[in-house]
Amino acid sequence: MHLLIKTVAMTTALCLCFVAEAQEHGDHMPHDTHEHHDHTHQETDSGHSSHDGHESEARPALTHTEDIDSALAKGGEPIVADVLGVVCDFCALAMNKIFSKREEVAAIYVDLDTKALSLVLAPGASLSDQTIADLAIQAGYRIADIRRGDEALGMAS
Amino acid sequence: MIGARTALLLVLGCLASATAFGRPVSYAGGWTVIEESDRLSSSALVHYTPSPTMSLGLKTEVNRDSDFAIYSVHPTLLAKRWFGADYQGNLYFHGGIGVASGINNNPQSDHMAIYGGVMADWETRSLFVGYRNRYLEAGEYASQFMQAFRAGFAPYEGDSGDLHTWLMLEIDHRPSDPDSVTATPLVRLFKGPLLIEAGYNLTVNQPLFNFTYRF
Repeated sequence: MHLLIKTVAMTTALCLCFVAEAQEHGDHMPHDTHEHHDHTHQETDSGHSSHDGHESEARPALTHTEDIDSALAKGGEPIVADVLGVVCDFCALAMNKIFSKREEVAAIYVDLDTKALSLVLAPGASLSDQTIADLAIQAGYRIADIRRGDEALGMAS
Repeated sequence: MIGARTALLLVLGCLASATAFGRPVSYAGGWTVIEESDRLSSSALVHYTPSPTMSLGLKTEVNRDSDFAIYSVHPTLLAKRWFGADYQGNLYFHGGIGVASGINNNPQSDHMAIYGGVMADWETRSLFVGYRNRYLEAGEYASQFMQAFRAGFAPYEGDSGDLHTWLMLEIDHRPSDPDSVTATPLVRLFKGPLLIEAGYNLTVNQPLFNFTYRF
C-alpha cells in the first residue's frame, strides 16, 4: 500500500509543479504570442519586411509550398494561423489530418519554424475563425491569432 | 473479494493507458500503434482517439522474466495540456484493466490485472523532459511499482517532414527488481507519422526498442 501512497504523493507534487508553471506562463501565452514570432521562415512573404522593427509585420506569413502556390493561383483565400504547442511532427500531422478532411481547404502546411498554420481555401469557399479554432482543438492544439488575405501574405500595410 | 487497494486501482484504471513517452493521445479520429520493449517487458498497444483528450486501446504486455502476459483494455486521459508559442506540456492519467495469464509453461491460473499511473512531459523543439509511473496489481503474478524519468535534447531543429533526431537518457526505478535503478541512453528518430527509439540499458545490458506509428 505504501507504494500506492508514494504514487499518489508524486502525482500530487507533479500536478502542483505544472499548475505553478501554467499560472506563470501558460494562461497568458495567447496574449503574448506575437512577441515570440520574431523570426520568419525562409520561404515566407514576411521575410521581406521582418527587419523593420514593427512587431505586427514580424508575424509569420503564408509559407509557400507547391500545393500552397497552386491553390493561390486558382484564387483561393490565404489564411495564416499562429498555433500554440506545435513542437513536433506529430503535431503537424494532427493539424494536417484534421484540416485536410475539410473540403474548404485546398492546401495546408504546418511550419514548425514559425509555428504557423498556412491554409489556402478552395475558390469561393470560406472558413470562419471559430471553425478554424475548433478544428485546431480537434487536433489537440490552440490558435493564438488568425490573419487573412494580404495580411496573411505579409503584404498588409 | 476486491480489496481497497484494488478498488482504488480500478478507479485509476478506468480514468486512464500506454506508459510510452510518445504522445499517448492523438488527434480526434486518429489511430496509433505503439510497441515498446525494455529490460523486463515487451508490449503492443493499438489505440483510437475519439476526442483530443482521451484514447482507448487494447494492449498486450509480455513480462519476459516473470513469464506472464497481460491482455488489457487501455484508456488514457489527457488531463491537462499547457500550450505556449514554443513549448507544450502534458499531464496524462493512464491505466488498464484485463487478464494476466501465464506464458512459457507457467502453470499459474489467470488473474485480473489492473494498473494505473500518471505521465507528464514538457517539450520544446530542442528540449524534452518527461516522467511516468505505473502501479500494477496482477494477483500472484505481480504487484509492482515503476517510475521513470527521461530528459533529452535535439541537436538540430527539423521542420515538418524532416527527420528529427533526439538524444535522450532514461532513468527507471523498479523497487521490486534486484537492479532497482537503471540507466538507458537512447536515440529517438522522428519523421512524419513514425517515431522510433533505440537504446541500451547500461546497468543490466538489455536493449530498448520502441516505435510509434500514427495514422
